[in-house]
Amino acid sequence: MEKIIKELIPQNANPKNFGNLITYEVSSSDILSVCKDLYFKHKLHLKTITAIDEGHNNYKILYVFGVPKENIFLIPYIKLSNTTEFPSLANDIHETSGYERKIQTFFGLLPQGHVNPRPIILHKNWPEDQFPLRKDFKWNDRPKEASNTYEFTKVEGEGIYEIPVGPVHAGIIEPGHFRFSVAGEEIVLLEPKLGYTHKGTEKLFETLPLEKKIKLSERVSGDSSFSHSLAFCQALESLADVNIPQKAKWLRVIFAELERLANHFGDIGFIMLDTGYSFGGLSGQRLREMIMQWNEMLTGSRFLRGVNTIGGVTKDILPDFKTKLLKDLEKIEIDFTEIMKIANSSSSLLNRLEDTGTLDPRIARDHGVIGVARRAIGVKTDARIDYSYAAYDKIQLEIATEETGDVNARFKVRIKEVYSSIKILVEALEKLVDDEELFSSQNTSLKKDAYAIGIVEGWRGDIVYFIATDRNGNITRVDVRDPSFLNWTVLGYTGKGNVVPDFPLINKSFNLSYSGNDL
Amino acid sequence: MITFFAWIIQIILVPVLSPLFVGIIRKIKARFQNRKGASIFQPYRDLRKLFGKDEVISKDASWIFKYMPFILFGTTLIVGLSLPMFTTFLKTNLTGDFLVVIYLLAFGTFFLALAGIDAGSAFGGFGSSREMTISALAEGGLIFSMLTLAIVAHSTNLNQIAISISSLPLRSFMPIILSFIGFFIALLAETGRFPFDNPATHLELTMIHEAMILEYSGKRLAVIEWAAANKQLIFLALGANLFFPWGIANSLSITAVFAGIIIFLIKLLILSVSIAVLESGMAKYRFFRLPDLLFTSFIISVIAIGIII
Repeated sequence: MEKIIKELIPQNANPKNFGNLITYEVSSSDILSVCKDLYFKHKLHLKTITAIDEGHNNYKILYVFGVPKENIFLIPYIKLSNTTEFPSLANDIHETSGYERKIQTFFGLLPQGHVNPRPIILHKNWPEDQFPLRKDFKWNDRPKEASNTYEFTKVEGEGIYEIPVGPVHAGIIEPGHFRFSVAGEEIVLLEPKLGYTHKGTEKLFETLPLEKKIKLSERVSGDSSFSHSLAFCQALESLADVNIPQKAKWLRVIFAELERLANHFGDIGFIMLDTGYSFGGLSGQRLREMIMQWNEMLTGSRFLRGVNTIGGVTKDILPDFKTKLLKDLEKIEIDFTEIMKIANSSSSLLNRLEDTGTLDPRIARDHGVIGVARRAIGVKTDARIDYSYAAYDKIQLEIATEETGDVNARFKVRIKEVYSSIKILVEALEKLVDDEELFSSQNTSLKKDAYAIGIVEGWRGDIVYFIATDRNGNITRVDVRDPSFLNWTVLGYTGKGNVVPDFPLINKSFNLSYSGNDL
Repeated sequence: MITFFAWIIQIILVPVLSPLFVGIIRKIKARFQNRKGASIFQPYRDLRKLFGKDEVISKDASWIFKYMPFILFGTTLIVGLSLPMFTTFLKTNLTGDFLVVIYLLAFGTFFLALAGIDAGSAFGGFGSSREMTISALAEGGLIFSMLTLAIVAHSTNLNQIAISISSLPLRSFMPIILSFIGFFIALLAETGRFPFDNPATHLELTMIHEAMILEYSGKRLAVIEWAAANKQLIFLALGANLFFPWGIANSLSITAVFAGIIIFLIKLLILSVSIAVLESGMAKYRFFRLPDLLFTSFIISVIAIGIII
C-alpha cells in the first residue's frame, strides 16, 4: 500500500484511505494527465467514472482505477463548484466516453471537448433539462413528456437498405432496438439503441431502506442476481468493517460458480441453437436446468435470490446435499464432455462459429471490453484473481483465454470456464465445514463520509459497485457498473461486414444484459 | 366406381396427409434432441386453432396480400392431384407434365414473395429477396434432375415417368441415383429445410420462408401453413415415386390400390426420417455458402444426364 501511494500518486496530493481505496483530489486542469499516467503508463484498469451531487451546486467526479493483483483502488477526483463543466478525457482515453455521457445525461454536467455528447439510456421523451441523479430531483417526480426525435446514423448510397429490429423481439429476451444498414446481406452499419428497460435503479438505491437495497441489487440484472448482490454486499461490508466467517466465504464461491455454470451452459446451448444445431442447443438448456434446480433445492430460488446478506449468506449447504451435489457435478461434467464431443465433430457448426463476429483487439481495448469477450482476444483478466474476494484467494484458478476474438473464441472460453467452475465447485464443497456460523452478527452501521467498492467477476465480466455515504452514515450514491455497459459499445463493430443472418449468433455470443446497461 | 373413389383419394390425399408428415419430422427431431416432443397430430391442432382466430391485416396491404394464401394453396392442390402417388393410371395429361408441376409451384412462390414485400415490413422484404435467390438457384437442379428421368422415360408426363422407371433394370439405376441426390438438395431448398432455412427458428433475421409470412395471422396464416405442408409432401412424393417408383398400383384393383397407399406411406416415412436425421446432425449453412450447394445439385444432375446420353 505504502509503495503504491509513493509510486502512483502525485507528490503534492493529499491521499485519504478507505480500506483498500485511496482517494485524492486533482484539479480539473490536471485530471487528464493524472488519468493518462495511470491508464497508459501504469496500465491500471479503469473500473468506473461516476459523479456525486454534494448539494448547493457542488459535484465530485471520481475516476476509479483498479490495481490488478494488489486489490487496491485509486480514485483521483475533481470537484466542481458553481460550474457544470468538466474536462472530457474521451479524446485520449476512449473508454471514458460512455461514463462521461452517462454523467452528462443523469447529472447534467457537461464533458468539455467530447465528440459525441448525446445523452444515453434516457430516451427522447425525457425532457433534456431534467437530471434524475441530482439531489433536487425526487425519485417520484414525473416530468412532462418531451417529444424530440432520435436521429440514427444514416448510410447513403445505392442499394442501402435499412432494417429496424426491435425493441420487441421474438423469443423471451429483453427489449432493445437495432438499426441495420445493409447492402444486400452484408451489414454496413449496425447501431444499437438501448434504454428501454431504464428503471431508475441508481436513484432507488438512494431511497430504499437497506434491506430492500440488497433486493434491488439482485434485480439489476436477473441472470446475475447473486453476483450483483455479492458485489453490493461486499461494498457494504467494507463500509461497515464487518468480518465474514470463513464458511460464508466458501459458500459465496459455491453459489457464484453455480450461477456462472448455469449461465454458461445456457449460452453455450443458445450459441449452438442459433446456428440451427438443435441437438447442442437443447442439451445446453437441459444442463442449465439441472443447475437451476440445484439452485432452487439449495436456496429456494432458481436465481439464488435472498442468499446474500451483509456479513455473509443466509443459506447453508447440509452435508448430505453436499455429497449429492458432488455426485451430480461429476455426472454433469461427463454429460457435458459427451455433448461437446458430438458438437465438435459437426463441421457445419464449426463453420458457422469460426470467423463470425470477429472483435478487433484494438477496438476492444479502446472501448474497455471486459469479461468473456476480453479473454477471447487473449487478455488474461479476471476479477477473481485481480481483485480476489470471498475465498478465491485460496483457490488455484487458470484464466481461460482464446486468441481469435470471434464467436468461436467466446464459445470456447465459456467451455473452458465450465470446466474450471466445476473444479472450483468440487474444491469449495470439500472445504466446507459443518459447524461455523453463516454470517457475522456484528453491528452493521456504515462509516461516515466514506467510499467503498465491491467488485465481483460475474459470468459476463466484472460487476462494480461504488458506494458513497454522507456525514450521517447514510448511503448517498450507488454507482452500478454492469459489464454490459462497456461491452455493448463494441457490438456494432463486431457486426460490421457480417451477413444479417449471422447477427443473432454474434449477439448471442456476447449475451449482454439490457437491464444491467439501462439501470 | 373404383376410379371415382381413387380420384377422391387422389385429390384429398395431399391436404389430408401433409400436416401429419410435418408432425412426424418434428417428432423425430425432438427425439434426437432428447425431448419427448409434441404429438405427431399437433400440426392438425395448430391448423384448427389458427382457423378459429381472427386476423390482422395491415391497411397498406393490397389484394396480393389478401389472396396470396389461396393462390398458394390452390397451386399445391392442383399439383397434388397431378402426381403419381399410389397409382399411375389416373393420367392427368393437362397438369401431369413435370414442367407444369415445377412452374405451378414457382407461381405460388412468386406470389408468396410478392406478399412478403406487400405489407411493407423490413423482414418481409429480405425474406422475399432471400427466397427468390434460393429458388432461382434451386430451379436448375430441380429441372435437370427431373429431366434425367424424362430422358430415360421418353416422356415428360409424371405418370409415364413412374411407369417407365419402375420397369428399368437395376444396373441402369446409376444416373437415377445421381439425379436423386440433385433433387434431394433442391427439395431441401424448396421446402425451407436445413441447411437452407430453419423452420423452427424464432430469429427473424435468419428466416427465409417464415420472414415472408410474418405479417400473416389467423385464418390466412393457417392456409399458408397448410400450403407449405402440402408443398413439402408434394416434394416428398416426387422423390419417392419418380426416383423409386416401386409398388405403385398400375391396375385398378382394390388390393393394388390399397397396397399402393401403404407402400407410398412407407416411402414417405423413410424420406421424412432421413430429413429429420439430417437436420438433427447439422447446423444451418451461412447464407453465402448456399449457392455453392445448389450449384452442386445442378452439376450432379447434369452429370446424370451426361451418363445417359
